[in-house]
Amino acid sequence: MTTMNMVQAINHTLDMKMSADDSVVLLGEDIGVDGGVFRVTEGLQKKYGQERVMDTPLVELGIVGAAIGMAINGLRPVPEIQFQDFIYTAFDQIINQMAKMRYRTAGRLPLPLVLRTPYGGGVRGGIYHSQSGESYFVHTAGLTVVTPSNPYDAKGLLSSSMDMNDPVIFMEPKRLYRAAKAEVPEEDYREEIGKAKLVHEGDKMTIITYGSMVPTVLSTVQKNNLDADVLDLRTLLPIDVDSIEASVKKTGRVMIVHEAPRTLGMGAEISALISERMIEYLYAPIIRVTGPDTPIPYRLEEYYLPNEKRIAEAAEKILNFR
Amino acid sequence: MTEMVNEQTERERHIRAYGAMILSRTLDRKIITAQRQGRVGFYTPSMGQEAGQIGLSMALDKDDLLFQYYRDVALMIHRGVPIETLINQVMGNKEDLAKGRQMPSHFLAEEQNFMSVQSPVATNLPLAVGAAYAVKYRKEDRIVVASFGEGSSSTPDFHAALNMAAVWNLPIIFFCENNGWAISLPVEKQTKVDIWKKAEAYGIKGLHADGNSIDDSYRVAKEAVEHVRSGKGPVLMEVRFFRMGPHSTSDDPTKYQTDIVKEGDERDPVVINERLFKEKGYLTDEVIERIKAESIRIVNEKFDACEKIEAPAPETMFQDVYEKMPWNISEEMEEIL
Ligand SMILES: Cc1ncc(C[n+]2csc(CCOP(=O)(O)OP(=O)(O)O)c2C)c(N)n1
Repeated sequence: MTTMNMVQAINHTLDMKMSADDSVVLLGEDIGVDGGVFRVTEGLQKKYGQERVMDTPLVELGIVGAAIGMAINGLRPVPEIQFQDFIYTAFDQIINQMAKMRYRTAGRLPLPLVLRTPYGGGVRGGIYHSQSGESYFVHTAGLTVVTPSNPYDAKGLLSSSMDMNDPVIFMEPKRLYRAAKAEVPEEDYREEIGKAKLVHEGDKMTIITYGSMVPTVLSTVQKNNLDADVLDLRTLLPIDVDSIEASVKKTGRVMIVHEAPRTLGMGAEISALISERMIEYLYAPIIRVTGPDTPIPYRLEEYYLPNEKRIAEAAEKILNFR
Repeated sequence: MTEMVNEQTERERHIRAYGAMILSRTLDRKIITAQRQGRVGFYTPSMGQEAGQIGLSMALDKDDLLFQYYRDVALMIHRGVPIETLINQVMGNKEDLAKGRQMPSHFLAEEQNFMSVQSPVATNLPLAVGAAYAVKYRKEDRIVVASFGEGSSSTPDFHAALNMAAVWNLPIIFFCENNGWAISLPVEKQTKVDIWKKAEAYGIKGLHADGNSIDDSYRVAKEAVEHVRSGKGPVLMEVRFFRMGPHSTSDDPTKYQTDIVKEGDERDPVVINERLFKEKGYLTDEVIERIKAESIRIVNEKFDACEKIEAPAPETMFQDVYEKMPWNISEEMEEIL
């Protein structure tokens, strides 16, 4: 066991995978010599060479499109988009090629590809270095969307993602990159895709969250002694409806917390699933604590991001609902 | 007599150009230092790119419309943008024209015809094409300029913009500021051909200048402007210079770059243009010293004043998403504040 932060855990996982399988290649802007603007790919070009760790020209559409072609022809590419905010010029490639390749070829051209990208706020990045774009991708059949909230899961989930023969959007909460260190085993292990993790147990309420909001939710629960289940979704598509069901049937009260804007965020889909399947178990309306339906401002960012105060207030409201 | 007047105006133009360069450099230095002290969140210096930008500015008219990028401080200063406008943006305070919504370096100064900077590079280029179409449609007497780094020439936006502008024969200059690097990627790994030569592929005029010389940049920009104004269609103009220092305050160039041009280096445009202007008799040591001292005084004074201005009021965060605030945003505002 060693302790690592999330950057180190991801770096270590990529390293492990690359040394085990020479069809694994990395491509992206500034990922080679510079080691990535967040240093996630530090040292990998030196170790594996420019052919396997490519500093590409500045063109996201090209990075993603080329990665798809590599996957079609025998490689297992892991492209990086420097900030999720810049993924949108590659949107067509993701939505119309990547997501649909298996379907439109009846499974003849699967795409073993993991698209890594940092997302989310909390780093004073303003409008274009802070967005949480998960909903765009979760709305797209054919994609798998994964986001870890700690170094241990980052390794386990990335390993599992890279084993898959389907394209994964691997969203890395940049605010947590260096926020905390955790024990990360050196040896190979997997965390299952599509499986949420119960990160706190309680009886009175279920808080469903993921990614950058997990530590904030946990600290709120601890400080306020909330008797709550906290579910870290980890995979956003497909959603682990079984874990949600088990918890909600136990507690009957639900809060969903995410940083992305409220309208058509993950909270909307989760509420719909709960309403459809277990509304009779609910004692209170479902509450969403989310970013507002505005872009993320630079100077006033702290008002944008859900915080302990808002989560605690929502908890009180849910618990006191009669 | 007219010769004397011309000489006088030539001299004044050059002193003004030099003044803008020094003011821009002084402001850059101030913001970088303040960033290190934790008084500013982030910054992308313009250092090293001043001469080319000022050469362009000198060839333009007041009414021309600019879709600039994040490293155009000298261009903005030379075109009369008050430095308070720039500093307030960097601070994101309540006097910032965009209410502190954008990261530092994402300037707006629409009164001086500077549109708003975005982060996703080159996405300003198609916008400039549309604005140039409107210029033509409305028979306005102005041209449009879109600026960008050489790395940005790899984007689909660059291709789309040049192609459309060419097909529509629009009054637009694509001004490529080639500082040799796109963060850590050197230009040789970005493209296999000189940027300005790409013009030919789109059927438009390509020009290039020594971006380290105000005079050379001006000479070429003038040719570009004349071409565009006379209705002959778009120009792709490339200026070359050095990125002096990091890509941004978050970047460590020593990881990938060995030859970094420092201030005072013989490739520093301040050194180069000072020498050239002195040779031509536009500047004396005394004038240089005065301009430098005055720039420091102005920058310090304005910076201190702007730094004291408070943050925008929290409710401003919810404004301007739409002309009228919809119910969902008002509810969220109520919940959050
Ligand atoms: C579409 C997009 N991808 C990636 C980035 C991250 N990024 C910011 S600046 C930059 C390099 C830009 O280089 P260049 O166009 O040469 O301009 P310079 O910064 O050197 O002036 C990159 C990759 C971005 N802003 N936009």
